[in-house]
This record gives sequence, C-alpha cells and structure tokens, in this order.
Amino acid sequence: MTEPPKEPVKYVDANLYLPYRYTAGDCRARFLHALKDKRILGSRCSKTGKVFVPPLVSSPESFAPCDELVEVSDRGVITTFCIVNIPVIGRDLQLPYVAASVALDGAALSIFSAIQECKPEEVRMGMRVEAVWKPDGERQGSFEDILYFRPTGEPDAPLESFVHRL
Amino acid sequence: MKRPVAVVGVGQTHHAARRSDLSMPGLLREAIDRALLDAGLEHKDIDAVVLGKAPDMLEGIMQPEQFLIGAVGGHLKPVIRVHTAGSVGATTALAAVTHVASGLFERVLTVAFEKQSEGNTMWALSPNLPFTPPLVAGAGGYFAPYIRAYIARTKAPPHIGPMIAANARANAGRNEYAHLREPMTVEDVMQSPMLWDPIRYLETCPSSDGAVAMIVASEAAAKKGPRKPAWVRAGASYAEAMWVPARDQVNPAAGRACAKHVYDAAGITDPWNQIDTAEIYVPFSWFEAMWLENLGFCDLGEGWRIVDRGEQKFGAHLPINPSGGVLCTNPIGASGMLRFGEAALQVMGRAGAHQVEGAKTALGHAYGGGAQYFAMWIVTSEL
Amino acid sequence: MSELRNVAVVGFAQAPIVACDAHRTATEMLYPQVKRALAECGVEREAIDYQTAGSADYIDGRPFGFVAALDVMGAWPPKQDSHLEMDAAFAAYYAWIRIQAGECDTAMVVGYGKVSEGQPERILNLQLDPYYQAPLGLGPMTTAALQASAYMARSGTTDRDLAEIAARNRAAGARNPDAQVREAATAEALQQTPWVVEPLRQGYVPPIGESAVCLILAAEGKAEELCDRPVWIQGIDQRAELQTLGARDLSRSASARLATEKALAMAGLDSASEVDVIELFATNPAEEMILREAMGLPPAGETKPVVNPSGGPITGHPLMMTGLIRLGEAFRQLSGRAGAHAVPNARRAIAHAAQGHALQQNLVFVLGRERRWS
Repeated sequence: MTEPPKEPVKYVDANLYLPYRYTAGDCRARFLHALKDKRILGSRCSKTGKVFVPPLVSSPESFAPCDELVEVSDRGVITTFCIVNIPVIGRDLQLPYVAASVALDGAALSIFSAIQECKPEEVRMGMRVEAVWKPDGERQGSFEDILYFRPTGEPDAPLESFVHRL
Repeated sequence: MKRPVAVVGVGQTHHAARRSDLSMPGLLREAIDRALLDAGLEHKDIDAVVLGKAPDMLEGIMQPEQFLIGAVGGHLKPVIRVHTAGSVGATTALAAVTHVASGLFERVLTVAFEKQSEGNTMWALSPNLPFTPPLVAGAGGYFAPYIRAYIARTKAPPHIGPMIAANARANAGRNEYAHLREPMTVEDVMQSPMLWDPIRYLETCPSSDGAVAMIVASEAAAKKGPRKPAWVRAGASYAEAMWVPARDQVNPAAGRACAKHVYDAAGITDPWNQIDTAEIYVPFSWFEAMWLENLGFCDLGEGWRIVDRGEQKFGAHLPINPSGGVLCTNPIGASGMLRFGEAALQVMGRAGAHQVEGAKTALGHAYGGGAQYFAMWIVTSEL
Repeated sequence: MSELRNVAVVGFAQAPIVACDAHRTATEMLYPQVKRALAECGVEREAIDYQTAGSADYIDGRPFGFVAALDVMGAWPPKQDSHLEMDAAFAAYYAWIRIQAGECDTAMVVGYGKVSEGQPERILNLQLDPYYQAPLGLGPMTTAALQASAYMARSGTTDRDLAEIAARNRAAGARNPDAQVREAATAEALQQTPWVVEPLRQGYVPPIGESAVCLILAAEGKAEELCDRPVWIQGIDQRAELQTLGARDLSRSASARLATEKALAMAGLDSASEVDVIELFATNPAEEMILREAMGLPPAGETKPVVNPSGGPITGHPLMMTGLIRLGEAFRQLSGRAGAHAVPNARRAIAHAAQGHALQQNLVFVLGRERRWS
C-alpha cells in the first residue's frame, strides 16, 4: 500500500452494543406479578399512610420505609396530558396519541400512560379513566399488561380534587 | 462565600447542529483557548480543572474527561467531572467557584460541553427506565403536560409561548455564537408542526454541538488580570426527589429554594428591580413564563403577562436571555454554563451586540432532570 | 494553610459487597446505608447540610441514572446537592473543598450502582479515546495487564511475587465481613488459577460485585457531636494524567506520586511510612506495587504500614465506590470500628482512590486521630 488515501478520514463509526440485565427488585417484582391478575399494587408509607404507585421501598417525601403493599383502583383521573405527534422508539402507537398523567383512586402519585378509545381533542384534565387490560391468558406480569386507559364516561373530577396531584 | 471569587475569562465555541470541522478535543480547545486568551492566561497558570457534561450516552464515551485530559490541560493537575443532568454546566461552574473560595486554588479552569451530533440524542433523552414501556420520545414529551397545567392554572393565551420563541430568535440574532439565529415571527411559530401538544416545533430547543469555558479566580489573581472581572456574589444548587406527591413541577420547590438562597446571600429583596438581566434555562418556550414566577420576578400567574407586555425583551425592563438562550443554542452539557457565562459577560460589559446597557447585576440559572436540579448564580460588576 | 478547617469522617455505612443483590435495585440498596450512617451519627437527615454522590450512567445502564438516588437520600424538602460522574471518593474530596469554602459544615457522600447488571469489561472499554484506543478492544483487564507487564519488566517482579500479594489480601479479606471474597487462599493455589490476561491471573483480580455506601463528613465543632472518635482529614490531593497509554510510563504512577507528596506535605508528614494503615485502590497486585513505590514505600512486605487490612479491592470491587470504601475503611481503623480486621493502635492512615485505566487518576487522603490545624 504505497498510495496515501485520497480523502482524509473524517468520521469513525462506533456501533455500541451493551447488554444489561436489570434487577426488578422484590418490590417491583410483586407489583409486576400482580398486574397479571389485573391488580395494581402500591406501597404505603409507614409514616404518612400515602400510597405510592408503582410501589417504593421507601418514601422520598417522609424518608420513612414503606412496608405495606396495598391494592389501588385501576380507575382514576387525568391530571394533565399532552398530545404526541412524534413516534416513540420501541413502541407502535398510532399518531397522534395522548400521553397522560393518571392519578389512580387511592394512590398519592400519578402514573404516565397512553389514552385511547377517544379522539385526542376530547381529552380533558379531570377526565375519569379506567385501565384497559390485555385479555386473560395474554398478560405476562409486565407494565404492558395495561394496554392503555380509556374514558369511563363518568362526570369529570372537580379541579380541586386533582390540581395538586400532577 | 468565604473569599471573593471572580470570573476573569469566558470563551465559547460557535455553536452549530454539527461541528464536523472539529473532533471533541478540538471543540473543547476552541472554547478553552478563547477563555485563556480572554483572561490573558496560559495553561501553566491554571491550578485545577472542573469539567461538566450531560449523560455520557450522548456521545457513547464513558467519562470522556479521561481521554480529554490533554485537551483541558489537566495533566498532573486536580481534575473533577460534574454531572447533574441539564443543570450540569451551571453546577460545574459552581464547583469551580467553590475550589477558589476554599483558598486552595488561585485560578480554576471550568469547561462544559456536548458534541451530541456524534450520538443519538433523542434516544439518550427519552426516559429509558427498565420495566416501563416507553411512552414519549424526547424531553418535550415529559414536560408538555406540565406546560398544559401551567396554561390551565393561569388561563394564559396560546400566543405566549410563540412570543417567547420569536423573541429568543431576535435575541440570538445579536449573538454571533448562537446556533439558531434566523428571525421568525409569532405566526411562523404558531404555524409550525405541533410536536407534543402544546409544544410546537419552533418552540423547542435545538440539538447543538458546543463548548464553553470560564476561568474563575481569587480576588488577588483577578486584580492582576487585563480585564474588569465579574464577581460571583452568590451561588447555590438544590435538588428534589422525583416521586414526591407534594411536588409541583410547574413551580418547583427546588427552584424556589435555590432562588431564595442566592437572593438572600446577594442581598436581593426585589429581583424585578434589582437584577438588570437574567439568563435562565428555557428549553421549551413556556418555561420562560413559568420561571419568571418560580424565580420571584412576579407573583404566581403573572409570568405570562410580563411576556405579553414585552417587558422581558431586549431593551425593556428586564431583558431575559439576551443571548437567545437554550431555545437557540443547546449543547446540553454546556447550556447551564452558557447561562452563567453570558450573565458574567453582561456585567463585564463584554456581551457585544447583545450587551444590556448598564448591566451591573445579572442572574444565571439552569435546571435539569424532571425539573429536579436547580443551580443559580448572581454576578456583579463590582465586588 | 493555617486557615484550613479541620474536617473529619464521622460515619460510614456499607452494604456487604456481593456478586448480585437480586432482591434490590441500586437505590433500594442505598436507602438502608443512608439511614444507618445517619443513625450511627445520631441525627436526622435535616442535620446534614450538603449531599453529594459518585456514580456512572454507563454502570447504571441508563442516562441520568443518578437522578433516582435523590429519592433515597432524603432530598425532600429540596437539599443542596451535587453529583460527580466519578468514584464516590472524589465526591468526598469535593465535599471537603466545600467545607473549606465555608459553604457547609456537614456533608453526606453516597456511592451506588449495580455492577452486576452490565458487563464492566465491555463498558469500561468506552472510557478509552474513541479514535485510537477503544477500537482496539482494550478493556480494564487488558490495560491493567499492559501496566503490570511494564512494571514486571522494569522491576523483575515475578508471578510468585504477585501471588503472594494476592494471598495476603485474601487472608485480610477473610476477616472483613463486608468483603465479597472471604476465603483465604495460598499463593500456590492462586498461581494455579488461569490467566485472565497474562500476567494477571483470575486469583489476582476481583470478581464482579456490587454494594452501596454512605459516608458522612463534618467540620470541627460538628464532628465531635456526631462521632465519639472522629477521624480527621490531615492532608488531601488528587491528580490526573493523560490517558493515552503510550504517553506515559505505565510502570510508574506519576499522578499517585504527586498526589501523595502534596497530601503528605499538607499533613505535615515526610513519608508515607509514618502512617500505620494504607488502604489502596489496587485492583491487582501489580497496581499495589506501583502505588507503594509511588508513595515511597517498599513494593511488598509485611512492614508497617499495613496495606489493605480490609482485603482491598481484590476481595471486593464495586467500581464507582471502591475508592470511598477505602476512605471508609481507614475511618473504621482509626475510630476503632474495624472489628476482626482491625490493625491495633492505628493512629494515622492513608486512603487512596483511583480512576480510569492503568491508574490514570489518583486521590490521596491522609487521616489521623488528631486534628491537623489548631
């Protein structure tokens, strides 16, 4: 090889592939297994009684342990949301779709989920929604067992009931 | 602060979507060389280096400061690397200030950068939590619901965000280093595609390659320098936990705590009138209105009115982001330090075409995470 | 220098290093250590002015991995905080500087990260410059082996010499309930283990392991309230070097030498041999020898000071906190908390932390039972 390269090397491609095997931890594992039974579990703060969904081993608010797992409802209220027009890597949701913060009845924290079975422009803060689960036999014990949330048709929750629970 | 600390030099790169003319070491050198020149110093005068950048996944290099020791002149010097998400550029600067305030270091070089064109930014910024299926792509998808909540709380009209975005571009037109500088109208913004309703394409920060460096120094060292320095009157960084039911991501507690800390330390009781200009971290337009409230420039619910009245424009009562801010330039690791550096340039009287006339007291602000990390400093022209 | 504040280590809690804690996430491992460290100091979270952490996103396997730790560090109401993408020992260094600057009087330093979730040999390849070194497929074992080879060639050190150092560390680790490897082994047995990368045998290097740690620092005035026997930081320094493997003499550690000189000078000591205990971030026997030489000590032997009475990193190396554990172990030794692995009458110690490939960056703490400055 006696000829120098005609073009200087400008870029070096480095494709990275790193496998990771994440530990769910016992607490989250219990939560995920319960989803198979269409049950949503939270953990209760030993100091304040507030219920965290998904469950936490300790309360970030009171700094006390959360020792008890309790079941919360699979219904709740949309506290806020956005309408998404950009496809997300790793999932097949039809655009546009609504990504919403859902405060489940009984839980002190909201979870983030997709809203379907209604037009995006119909979604409102305060809208009552319920989980739509994968059919029996298809649930695996993962967050994907909840396909999405849909409106229940109940009257909207009053603003005061959720304005401080984003 | 135990000892006075000054900013004696600032240097930054010309920020762009892709600086394909420079490698990563080259990008840092452009900013560092400019900062040293500005300060009239050489590497041998520097006692320590404090480097900051955002997640290493943005470039696919773990702890890149290790391979960049040569580029930062760090051989056989103390070096640390800070990482506090979007606020990192600012907390990095604060760490450098702390080094000097300790009395152990006379001059510290601090640099923050991102060369995110070399990786997949969208992937690195999307919440990648295990056991949770992805829901939104990009940081905007995370913040859009809270912007909606702000609009609902305040009944702000929809043109406020677009006004902020158009004004940022007008400001960037006066800043030769900014990435996005083409002017745009409010109508242009309102016609642009909706990404995560209510955030439109032209209301979002770009993805930029860029670096910024500063030299902070002791009082004795500053007084020997060729230029009038900026004095760091106060600085602080606060963080709050994520899964706290009482959290308010529209008006975050950590932001209020951080503002109170720096205002008290700097003797500021009336920010609206005592601060001449502020560089605050606005990655999506509406945050400008939200942060005006969070930072105590006005009462809650009134931030959007300041924008509506144009009181935060260049030349008005309190120019916000005269550099164009994060909306026009966003190398993620650098953005926080750009806010701090721009604030320093203002009180040093060296902000060129975007100089706020007579600026003597300026605020620099940055935030990161799910509105969890906040860092601020107040710089003044007099000690 | 007379204006420096006396700062002490007043508390240290560590989860025993294990191959994998299958029951807990990284933050779930950290929470009990934070609670324990605070409880040992007899205070609630509100009594600590500042919090800082050391961890790495690539070990956590996600960008912004450190954000989750805020939820178990008591960051509500909001707290003054920072985080370094470095071994947590460097976060302790930074916290010490903050205390010197008068910005706080007490600080909590944490380290966490589940090393078991990823493959460190592949991940740490990414620390290398992406143009010339990373594409060669080098990892921490290969760069360590290059360094070990260079040292052995210069010094005449043999495989047997390495085995004896490893055996000594293993014997010490057997007395440390927090070590991962708790069985002693003879030098002969270790010499039979296969090569990982020659000249480093499996018996000379740590297994993959994880832990979580919390350490508390306090300035004079507060330290005495938090601890019956505070361990005072008498000297401190850290230095980095160029990473490029061909740009430095791998058989020596110039940054460890300089950091040690500066730290000893701050402490008012002439030589590292004046301390009783040295905890070194040596992940293989050659590193131990290189560091000892850099510190002006004979490269091997049972003479004072005792090196790695904890068993050192060979018996447990949870990566981003291995350095902070060295500081914690020095605290245990000087405050009478080292139990079965205590070095009797230890009055002074050195704790060392390293970062990067082939000892690229080094941090040295000099500690003692007495205050340095009056």
